[in-house]
Amino acid sequence: MTAVVPERMVNPARETKTLLELRSLEVDYGHVRAVDGIDLSIAEGEIVGLAGESGCGKSTVAAAAMQVLRPPGRIAGGGVYFQGENLVGRDSESLRRFRWRNVSMVFQSAMNALNPVMRVGDQFVDAMRAHERIDRKRALTRAGELLDLVGIDPRRVRAYPHELSGGMRQRVIIAIALALNPELIIMDEPTTALDVVVQREILQQIEALKRDFGFAVLFITHDLSLLLEFADRIAIMYAGEIVESAPAARLVENPQHPYTQGLLRSFPPLRGPLERLTGIPGSPPDLAEPPSGCRFHPRCPHCSIDNPALYARQTSEQPTLRLVEPNHLVACHLVEDAAL
Amino acid sequence: MRWFARRLAFYLFAIWVALTVNFLLPRLMPGDPVAGLLQHLSPAQLSSNPGLIETYRALLGGGNHSIWSDYVTYLHRIMHFNFGLSTSNYPTPVSEVVGRTLPYSIFLVGVAFLLAFVIGTLVGMVAGWRRGGLVDNVFVPVFMTIGAFPAFFTALLGLWILGLKLNWFPIQHAYGNDVTPGFNWAFLSSVGRHSELPILVIVAAFAGGWVLNMRAVMINTIGEDYVTMARAKGLRDRRVMTWYAGRNAILPPLNGFAAQFATAVGGLVFIEFIFSYPGAGYTLQNAILGNDYPLAQAILVTLSVCVIFANLIMDIFNLILDPRLRTA
Amino acid sequence: MSRIHVPAWLALLLRNPKSRIGLVILAFIVVIALLAPLITVAHPNDFNILATRQSPSWHHLFGTTDQGSDIFSQVVVGARRSLLLGAAAAALATGIAAILGVTAGYMGGLVDDVVNFVTNVFLTIPAIPLLVVVAGFIKNRGMGTMVLVLALVLWAFEARVLRSQALTLKNQDFVLAAKAAGEPTRRIVFGELMPNMISRVAAGFVLVFYIALLTDAGLEFLGLGDMSKTSWGVTLYWAQTNSTVLQGEWWPFFFPGAALALTVLSLVLLLAGIDEVSNPRLRAESTERRRVFGRLFGGRLVARAEGSA
Repeated sequence: MTAVVPERMVNPARETKTLLELRSLEVDYGHVRAVDGIDLSIAEGEIVGLAGESGCGKSTVAAAAMQVLRPPGRIAGGGVYFQGENLVGRDSESLRRFRWRNVSMVFQSAMNALNPVMRVGDQFVDAMRAHERIDRKRALTRAGELLDLVGIDPRRVRAYPHELSGGMRQRVIIAIALALNPELIIMDEPTTALDVVVQREILQQIEALKRDFGFAVLFITHDLSLLLEFADRIAIMYAGEIVESAPAARLVENPQHPYTQGLLRSFPPLRGPLERLTGIPGSPPDLAEPPSGCRFHPRCPHCSIDNPALYARQTSEQPTLRLVEPNHLVACHLVEDAAL
Repeated sequence: MRWFARRLAFYLFAIWVALTVNFLLPRLMPGDPVAGLLQHLSPAQLSSNPGLIETYRALLGGGNHSIWSDYVTYLHRIMHFNFGLSTSNYPTPVSEVVGRTLPYSIFLVGVAFLLAFVIGTLVGMVAGWRRGGLVDNVFVPVFMTIGAFPAFFTALLGLWILGLKLNWFPIQHAYGNDVTPGFNWAFLSSVGRHSELPILVIVAAFAGGWVLNMRAVMINTIGEDYVTMARAKGLRDRRVMTWYAGRNAILPPLNGFAAQFATAVGGLVFIEFIFSYPGAGYTLQNAILGNDYPLAQAILVTLSVCVIFANLIMDIFNLILDPRLRTA
Repeated sequence: MSRIHVPAWLALLLRNPKSRIGLVILAFIVVIALLAPLITVAHPNDFNILATRQSPSWHHLFGTTDQGSDIFSQVVVGARRSLLLGAAAAALATGIAAILGVTAGYMGGLVDDVVNFVTNVFLTIPAIPLLVVVAGFIKNRGMGTMVLVLALVLWAFEARVLRSQALTLKNQDFVLAAKAAGEPTRRIVFGELMPNMISRVAAGFVLVFYIALLTDAGLEFLGLGDMSKTSWGVTLYWAQTNSTVLQGEWWPFFFPGAALALTVLSLVLLLAGIDEVSNPRLRAESTERRRVFGRLFGGRLVARAEGSA
């Protein structure tokens, strides 16, 4: 290992503090509310997974957390708190200094996230020189070391993005995300664009790096199966809201929300008895006109007119997140009723 | 690199086509080309230029040689830059006339259109980056409005207002009557002074197109992930605008610029006419009006070659700026 | 009162502010040109030695030339020839460009290479100098000849654009389906591809129209058109040759120039409108800008803008 490995390692005995907290976060795109009041917190060294179908707003959460929303996206309400301080409404200079240094991001498509006309090494140097006084030569050397860390020949700093393979580019993105040793890395579908074998390698790489560097991860994906192995805690997102969140093990053993149950039933285990695959009927709602009441009710197997009292609530009232067991939150009328 | 080699081959081929078209043009016109042309010359012209008919015959055919041998002779002469004798400046060789006037045109086109492109793309870049900002709301409409007027209208307007009424610029010719051509400062500064108004007019008329073009590309580029990542890295705003967005956004307009060379040369003809600027365009027009076909055709060929050459330079530039082409 | 039936494309164009203004101006000019014989008092070519070089007045709205001809009638009557020539050349050029471009793009292979090569050659040889030389050779510069000549030089640009559009479309499912069903190439090109490219072809027509207008006027301005007819370029030519500008007489060049500029402007606006209608992303920002301006000028404008967005 080279000098890049920091002295600070994750010490499980130390009390973990909250790094990032989203409180009642609301994000609009023009007239459409893409994220409707979500609460999420990530502690030091924790891997939090955020899962949901395409279009549920998870990438928006990532962009909002780093304050890099693209117009017409804007934060309409709530706050993004990093180590206790609200980032929303901060002046651009302090935001600029916060970016990458405290929180960095790994994008879905490395080919699109790397500047095609700049050498890979220079894209490291950029990030470094934006935050500290360092001369180019030393920065390039550091870049080489980071590449080595992710399993790429350090001489590739001189390469252009299009000269690397897909898997290599993704590693480069991860290496750049590590450049300033951030406390939290947000990963937005980092493996979706890759084939399964490379996916595995990348995930293993991330795990190894996390052990060495001790950063926390917000892992955003539509592939719940990935999170079950990888994450400490998982939050399920649907139509702009979080419907369930729990430690990964508990989520598998005791999924409460019908949507979560549907997701878990959607992919078969490799071993075990033959099961009938059931998907979730219907498709995600149009966020411009979400369903009234519980947003999942048109697709929910437990929502029917046969149970009129419950049905009335399901179609008119939005359920709120409630604790069903330690660390396990669910937003569902059915679960609420059962608990009573 | 293969891409470049193919382009080079195309250009060489295009030059050959230009030469051949030039050769065929008079022969394609109905009737005996020489006789047809002679119809439009006055007897006075004919008698004062005894070798005229021979010159025409040699260049335009109609003699008793086969078209193929004429063609070979033609190509052979072109290789030695022998375009024949100019009939309106008899007996000056055409190549000399062209050599005298071409530099002025290249100077005007080179400086003016380049400036229009640079200014236009810079304004467009800033306008696209900060939409709704000062540049976007003020400069863009101004450039657009001026650019919407036909170039020669703007030129005439500029000539009338800035040259005639306000007397800020000299309005005619390439240099004053009091200086003699040569590499002396008085001459060069006079040339510079006289080119200011044409250059200003060209920039005003043509920058608008680039502004809009670059702005549109910039707006699309801003949506790219690498721009978002650059911002997420905490880079300074200006750096993201220039090195990430701008550097990529300029590639399509650059190609558009290359495609505009032919148009630029066209516009040049009008500008030179309005300002009586003795460049190749002005000479071409006078040559045609005076039925001096050898000169006119030679200028057409020269201008075509210039356009091709400029395209070649632009390709080299592209190769430098876009590393993806180097492995294509 | 029963509603007038407006075709869908026209309604779209009328709703977009840019194309609406463009269409209105264009319609105005066309109407003036059509009514030319009714609204002019004098024949454009009338000489009147007593009234030479007069600045605009009630009697001569746009002033007179150095030969005493009324400039107003020259501009109004000249509109007919200028517009007709431009439109005809544009129609022909767009037609050639569409057929060649789309066929080449769809068929690929040798056909594509050949058409591509020819297009590139035409694009490399500068258009104006070529036109100058060709116009210099042909002495009969009647309407038909000029239309033909202009179209032959101006088709190349559009052809390349339409070819690249066809390239993107040809791999789409509906084209592949038609091909699998055994439709002959000609049917696919005209029946499947072109109808889906209408907006681009229409935009191309507008583009070539104003380029043809400018080019034709330009040629006449240089003295290379049919000098005996009345058109904007010819009027400008006489204005330039008689050094009227240098003598401070602005009206002989201003009015025909302004008429030309106005027509070009209307076409440019129309083009921008067509672009916005076909490209939703450009549309989004213009509504955004209208909202910003609306806020500057008062709340009522905002409501109206949002209502029509």
